Amino acid sequence: MTGEANLWSRRLATDFRGALVVLAVTALAPLLVRDTYTLGILIVSMYFALLALGWNLLAGFTGQFSLAPAAFAMLGAYTPALLAYHLRAPLTLGLPAGIIGTAILGWLLGRVVLRLKGPYLALTTLSFAEIARMMIANSHEFTRGDQGLNVSAVTANRLGYYYLFLGLLALVVVLVFELMRSRVGRFWLAIRDDETGAESRGIDVVRYKTLAFALSCAICGAAGALYGTFSQLVSPELGLLLQTGLVIAMVVIGGIGTLTGPLFGALLVYLTSEWMRGVGNIQMIVFAALVILFARFFREGLWGFATRLRARGAAERVP
Amino acid sequence: MSLLRAEGLTKHFGGVAAVENLTFAVEEGEVLGLIGPNGSGKTTALNMLSGFLAPDRGTVEMGAEVVTRLRPVALARRGLLRMFQVTRLFSRLSAFDNLLTAGMARGQREGEARKRAAALLEELTLTAVMYLDAGQLSGGQRKLLEFGMCFIAPPRLALLDEPFAAVHPVMRETMADFIQRRNAQGHSFLVVSHDMPVVVELCQRAVCMNAGRLLSVGPTREVLKDPAVIEAYLGSGSHA
Repeated sequence: MTGEANLWSRRLATDFRGALVVLAVTALAPLLVRDTYTLGILIVSMYFALLALGWNLLAGFTGQFSLAPAAFAMLGAYTPALLAYHLRAPLTLGLPAGIIGTAILGWLLGRVVLRLKGPYLALTTLSFAEIARMMIANSHEFTRGDQGLNVSAVTANRLGYYYLFLGLLALVVVLVFELMRSRVGRFWLAIRDDETGAESRGIDVVRYKTLAFALSCAICGAAGALYGTFSQLVSPELGLLLQTGLVIAMVVIGGIGTLTGPLFGALLVYLTSEWMRGVGNIQMIVFAALVILFARFFREGLWGFATRLRARGAAERVP
Repeated sequence: MSLLRAEGLTKHFGGVAAVENLTFAVEEGEVLGLIGPNGSGKTTALNMLSGFLAPDRGTVEMGAEVVTRLRPVALARRGLLRMFQVTRLFSRLSAFDNLLTAGMARGQREGEARKRAAALLEELTLTAVMYLDAGQLSGGQRKLLEFGMCFIAPPRLALLDEPFAAVHPVMRETMADFIQRRNAQGHSFLVVSHDMPVVVELCQRAVCMNAGRLLSVGPTREVLKDPAVIEAYLGSGSHA
């Protein structure tokens, strides 16, 4: 990108418009798709889009490569389930508790990994994710282990769920956009590019990194909490590393460090994954190969590639 | 009272004394040069002054306040700004956004930071590259940009680590002029440099270190004539 279009505020505004187009197309999809199975697939793809946006906030915008987004979705899903199972707490209490609980856990994890970078950060968050999953899987008396827990639904209407997920997705997109155009977002980008440089300019790296962890985990927790009520069963499988791998593939293919990329990438990858079920269970092989290809040749992902083409086209039109 | 005072600063790495009992002060409104041969402990001293390294012993005072254990962010908020030997920029943001972010980090509102950023880009002759990502700039332009980031809001003291190293002479001139103009307005600088002509031109006083210890301190020309300083730079027997 060249000229003023390369200013962060301009790039973000273009990105936000792209995200709104994806949201608008998703909002209109039920006009064409009526069967509950396909609607269900679209709902799950929106669940993954929420995880992708949450993970991208941490890895793409702040440069903190965590391997725990699926674990936080699992913890967000288990909170209302456990509150209902042990205390008969209603979802009106359980769902906010899931979001607040994962935000607090994310903040704590952020404090623990504050000084870690690169592979050490990734391994520590991976260890946290596996410990959380194993604890839930093995605490039979408290969590019923691998059997999972039943959760009541928010609504019996699948279309209602579709728009609930879409509403949450739109809320997260707007929230991330507003954060990224404020000084908070600028400070996250500065930390991503050079933590030492950011600190020396007067940016409180500790504060903004832990804030990114807390918000990212809260978004994943919110996605998990709502997904638990949709599937009406929560189990440790929600926190499998494979799920995190899928989220990373979605963000890398869509465009890391952008708003539209993770959103579009999640919908594209999950829908393709469902389509490939008919071909055989080879989705992860294909996506892993695509991640290698994108990391090597298209680091900006599909959204970055599209904006580069658009900028080139605009430059060629200038007489 | 001095603007910044280091008292008995000591830092050992394993058995090696990188800095040993270093005492000196930067006075209000002066440009102080910190010179010495390679490995003399200048950057380690600067790291301790700017909060990036905790000293084993000794204190750092800023005015009447002891700031020895403060983090770099707390020192930056008190107006102690640092420029690094190897530039520390936000490489995937434009040059303009780098300055804007630095301004907002110093508490400026976006509108104010925009005005300051535009003025600084012009003064540092970087307007032509303001929309390029910092990672795409040349080495000299990167130095100038980081230099500008220290001045987006007037610092109480700017610590400049080798600002002129590997910089084109024209850019070096731009930077030196900038320092002189700001110094004439009362701004204070601590400049670490190997470039002796520039040190003589800019610095009213100099501190020379060798093997982690203070070797000489005083008016720049006198320090450079000190036989101990000449020996440290050129080896024993050079002044015989």
